[in-house]
Amino acid sequence: MSGPSDTRGMDPQLMLLLELQDLRAQRKELAESEVAERMQEEHFHIDPADARSHLDEKITEIEQELHPRIRARYAQIVPMRDRVVVPVINGVCYGCFVSIPTATAGDRDSPAGVQSCEHCGCFIYILN
Amino acid sequence: MKLRQLFTLEGVNLELKAETKDDILKELIQLLDLDDKSETILFKTLKRRENLGSTGIGKGIAIPHCRSLVVNRLRLAYGRKPEGADFNSIDGEPVHNFFLIVAPPLEVSNQYLPVLGKIAQFAKDPDIPTHLQDISTPQEFLDLLEEKAP
Ligand SMILES: [Zn+2]
Repeated sequence: MSGPSDTRGMDPQLMLLLELQDLRAQRKELAESEVAERMQEEHFHIDPADARSHLDEKITEIEQELHPRIRARYAQIVPMRDRVVVPVINGVCYGCFVSIPTATAGDRDSPAGVQSCEHCGCFIYILN
Repeated sequence: MKLRQLFTLEGVNLELKAETKDDILKELIQLLDLDDKSETILFKTLKRRENLGSTGIGKGIAIPHCRSLVVNRLRLAYGRKPEGADFNSIDGEPVHNFFLIVAPPLEVSNQYLPVLGKIAQFAKDPDIPTHLQDISTPQEFLDLLEEKAP
């Protein structure tokens, strides 16, 4: 199998943004949802405060690995939106629910690097 | 939402081949039938959750779970490893039953946490490990959910 260890063709910076995205989602859930917090504590014996600080450390660490230009863009998006990277499904950006031109959406295998939605500014990840 | 409705026959593997924690996660991910890149991202995210603490909740059961933008709806899979595998479980015992839960970052129906709770509850029924050990087809797994997690 090529499977889950295959990162060929994936822009490393996009990969970092996706990691940040998922870490931030985990962090947010543990901070804002009592149900999530209780569940992690009760069933998985996770200390939510410890988990949050671990996630914060990880987030800071990965942010440092972003290319300065991308990091600047990322820093602009973060305060405004819950999500930094949004999927594009069937040509529709899930950050703003606007159908975006295929030229912007591009081919996920193209070497064009990290792409963003020209309408809402979020970094985009094209989902099949 | 009944658990039975969230699983498919294709999402059930009663004979996991993988031996290590990482490989088991990968084999479970493959049950979701995503593209390679999505599999890679999901693997990283699940690993990250495992780094906070194992999702092996004891009694031979693990519930790896996360939110990830590689799925656009709640996805579940079940894998069984009859001989068990080390998953750094809370009780230190080998894990035989793996329930994978992946939800998109935002869901309209907000099923993720309730479903995670339901699976944890289901898994805590003392009879469940024996029942899971006895099933011989994916259909029987779905039937067990229908019966035990109404
Ligand atoms: Zn957009």
